Order: sequence, then C-alpha cells, then structure tokens
Amino acid sequence: MASTAAVPFWRSAGMTYITYSNICANLVRNCLKEPYKSEAINREKVHFSVSKWTDGKPEKPTIRSDTPE
Amino acid sequence: MAMAVARRESRRLMPLVNPSVSIRSNLISPNQEQVGLGVRSISTQIVRNRMKSVKNIQKITKAMKMVAASKLRAIQVRAENSRGLWQPFTALLGDTPSVAVKKNVIVTVSSDKGLCGGINSTSVKISRALHKVNAGPDAESKYVILGEKGKAQLIRDSKKDIVLTLTELQKNFLNYTQISVIADDILKNVEFDALRIVFNKFQSVVSFLPTTATVLSPEIVERESEAGGKIGDLDSYEIEGGETKSEVLQNLTEFQFSCVMFNAVLENACSEQGARMSAMDSSSRNAGDMLDKLTLAYNRTRQASITTELSEIISGAAALEG
Amino acid sequence: MLRQLTSRILTKPTTPFFSAAATRRPFSTEVADTSTGDETFVEQWKKVIPNIDPPKTPSQYMKTRPPTPNVLPTKLTVNFVLPYASELSQKEVDMVIVPATTGQMGILPGHVPTIAELKPGLLSVHEGNDVKKYFISSGFAFIHPNSYADILAVEAVPLDRLDQAQVQKGLSEFTQKLSSASTDAEKAEAQIGVDVHSALNFALTG
Repeated sequence: MASTAAVPFWRSAGMTYITYSNICANLVRNCLKEPYKSEAINREKVHFSVSKWTDGKPEKPTIRSDTPE
Repeated sequence: MAMAVARRESRRLMPLVNPSVSIRSNLISPNQEQVGLGVRSISTQIVRNRMKSVKNIQKITKAMKMVAASKLRAIQVRAENSRGLWQPFTALLGDTPSVAVKKNVIVTVSSDKGLCGGINSTSVKISRALHKVNAGPDAESKYVILGEKGKAQLIRDSKKDIVLTLTELQKNFLNYTQISVIADDILKNVEFDALRIVFNKFQSVVSFLPTTATVLSPEIVERESEAGGKIGDLDSYEIEGGETKSEVLQNLTEFQFSCVMFNAVLENACSEQGARMSAMDSSSRNAGDMLDKLTLAYNRTRQASITTELSEIISGAAALEG
Repeated sequence: MLRQLTSRILTKPTTPFFSAAATRRPFSTEVADTSTGDETFVEQWKKVIPNIDPPKTPSQYMKTRPPTPNVLPTKLTVNFVLPYASELSQKEVDMVIVPATTGQMGILPGHVPTIAELKPGLLSVHEGNDVKKYFISSGFAFIHPNSYADILAVEAVPLDRLDQAQVQKGLSEFTQKLSSASTDAEKAEAQIGVDVHSALNFALTG
C-alpha cells in the first residue's frame, strides 16, 4: 500500500500532508455508526473568510465554508 | 399642580443655564450646585432619563458577562483537551524562538469581536516587537492575521507587510478541521523559514499570558539538527515510513503547524471570553456606581425643589396675612 | 514561575518530576526550559525592546519528561492524543502496535527512538491481558529514548463504532472512482479512498 516513490502519490498530485490527513479523517468519520457519525460531522464544520494581500492592498475576500477538505 | 408649575419654571430657565455643564456639575458636586444656582435647578426629568439609560447599560453588560461565562465554559474544555496535542512536538523538536532565519512569518491570532479588554492590543504589541527583534540585514518578517481586531490595528502601520488576513472564524465551533484548512492555506500562500504564532494563553479567568510558539520549516529543522544544539538529537531518531528523512520531516512540520495553530486559536478564544467577562463585569460595576451617584443627585434635586416650592408658598401666605 | 509549574494547567496526572541531569547533555525530550525560557531569545528581545516583557514560549508550559534511565524500564508510557481529546495520558502499558506506513510496528519498552508516520490502520494497546483497539485515520508516532511514546492521530475511533456496510459501500465506490479518474488530483483522492476503506475493511474483518 505504501508507494515506493520518493514522494507519496498525494504529494506529487499537489496535496499537502494536512489535506491528506483531513481527507482520511473525513472518510473514517463517514463510516461511523449513528449517533457518532452526526456528532462527529457536526463537530467538524468549516467556515472562514480569507483575503490575500498584495502590496498593502487586500483582494476581495473568499469564503470557504462547509466543505471540510 | 405645584410640581407642574415648578417644572414649567425650570424649563423656562433651562436655556439660560447651560444644560450639559449643569448636569455634569450636578452629578459631580450636587451640594455646591443647589446653593449656588439659587433658581429651581434642573428638572428631575433629565436625571431620571439618565438613570434609566445607565440601568439598561448595566443590564446589558451583565447579560454579556453571563454569555461570555457560558461560552468560556464550553471552549475551555476543548482547549484543555487540545493541550496534549502540541506537547509531543515540543518534546521532540524543542522550542527555538531564537532561531536566526531569513523569512519570518508572524501569525497573529486575535478576535473578531470587540469589548474584550486588552488582549488584542497585547497580541499586536508583541507581534510588532517580534517583527522588530527579527529585523536584520537580509531577514524579513511578514504578517498573517486571524481576526478583525488584529487586522484593524496592524493595518495602521504595517500595511505592506501583511500577506494574508482571515476572519469569521468563530461562526461554527472551533474545530481541528477548520484550523487545519486555515493552516493549509497559509502554507500554500506564504513562503517561510520560521512561523511564529502569537496568541494569548489562557491560564485562568483573570490571567492571560502572551505566548509565541515557533514552527520551523523542514529545511531549517534539518539545518538546526545538523548544527547541534536543541534539535541536535533529532538525528538519533530512526525514521519509519517514507523513503527519505526529509519527506517525513516535511509531513511532520506541516502537521506540527496545524496542531500548534489549533491549540493557539483555542487558547486565544478562551482568553477572549475570559477578558470579555472581566471587562463586562467591571463595566456593570461601574454602571452600578454611576447609578448610585445619580440616585443621590435625583433625590437631592427632588427634595430641593419641594423645599423651594414650600418656602415660596409659605412666604407668600405670610406676606398676605401680615 | 514556580506558580506556573505547579498550577493545574496541564490535565496530565502528576508524575514523578525528575530534574534534568546537569552532567550530560539531556535530550530535548527531557528538558523543559524553565524560568526564563530560551535564554538567547530573551536576551535578543531585551536588547531591542526593553520595555515590554518577552512573551512566553510553549516549553515553559510543559512538564519535564524523565531522563533516559540506565536500566531498561519495564513499562512503556503512552500518550495517545487526538485534537479534541487525550485518549490516553501517561498510561503505563506493556506494548503498543501502531500502523506505520511501512507496516504494523510493535513498540516495547526500550525501543530505539523513532519518528513514525502512520497510515490508516489499527492501533492496539496491550496491557497485561487487556487489548484496546482503535482505528486511526492518520498521524504520527514518536518514541523517545526514555520509553515514552507519543501517538498523535487526527481521528481515532474504537472499532465498535464503525459501520461495516458503509465501509463496503465506500470501498466499491472509490475503487470505481479510481478506475474512472482522469486528473492527477482525482486519482490521488480516489487512491486515498481505496486505501482508507480497505484498511477499515481489514480492521473490521481481520
């Protein structure tokens, strides 16, 4: 199961370790029985708004929400 | 009816006497005022209005304190549970805030809402200081700001050093997935050699300690471990998994960043609620004091006007008779 | 400063508190910088900013870990932490088996210091005749020379909370996605799905 390449397959596809572990955690949470499943899903909701700055000027903020990726 | 007459009289006199001055001075030194003015002084209506608004303020701040206390209870549990998460990293990689690197990124954690005492100013002060400490010939420091209040303060003088700002963090409960997505965003958008996270650690309801946690990039970790010193023992650890040490180190530093961020944001949120509790508490106590003073002023005003009324009537009657 | 160390910040139960051996250079696992924290940092700070107190650093909040004993300890001390809870904290056990990316790895007291990256799989904690099993989604395990093991997982569930039907469904779904995936990113996601679900399946049936 572990690849023998110098970089794991997910890193060569552009993912960071954090993205990888989040996807894994999500998949495991989806396979839980109720009520643990809804408890876990409710616990891990994502919502925030991020705005990049260039040269002292902010760009329009983008909202990332409810897709715990 | 006598009272109505008195009120009309005082209203007529009002424009002659500067109202704001007299109200303020009435509150501060009511004794002198009554004697000095010699006219039927300001109507009790104004003082009564003021008392009503101060009482409302007191109710509001008390309610806010209760809300903050309940939020604190909820989030304190989570913060304490998350404390076990960063300790293994510090145990393994040590703590190196004095590392000398070229690219520093200062991550300032602050709150979105105000009325929480001085914690945001403290964080901003420490961030600015860290910026200064790390300024050097080829070293640069950039800011990543979480929270509206920090943004508002840092915009004033460090606009060009800001790379990323994140807000609206507390819409849902703070959880690891959210913070890790944020950490991921930061990692993707910012180049760094060392990340310094500035936050307020929650020690108790009345004490918040400004803290800075340092996370190094994998290359710097390798450099430091080869140079010996704090992380020098890293070499003695065998690596399981992955082909090369640097690959595992990279995963490790990313994971470390997200864990440390998680704890930092939770601690800061606890500190925010605690600070808000104490700020609202002192505010309602202040409102209570103000209310006491106003009540005294009100009573004196009322009694003075009654006395004046009576004395007029009596002297009028005496004049008629005699 | 002493107040900090003795206050009940940390939820870990109090363990014997060895002072760091001054003679040999201690491992970074064993020394918590007490009192003023990192000396050089404090000096740097005071030079530039004399008016404000320097901020604290995480090592000042940690309890010192015991130094490497000369005699092999009989038990392994395990800290198993998740982001939202500390499952096991300073628990003394006989053996732990973790799912490292290179396969299941057993950890006994006196194990050589290791950093292991974990893949989705079964974690089992053995104490006497008692075995507790958890399924971990991913994480890291550190084994320190003083027979302390830190296991950090992003998500860990006891096996009885897993739904077998859901696992099978997920496995077939992702196997199908893998064969129909086109871009690198999709392939990677599908591959992760297949990995996780087959590990889940294996844990539930094996």
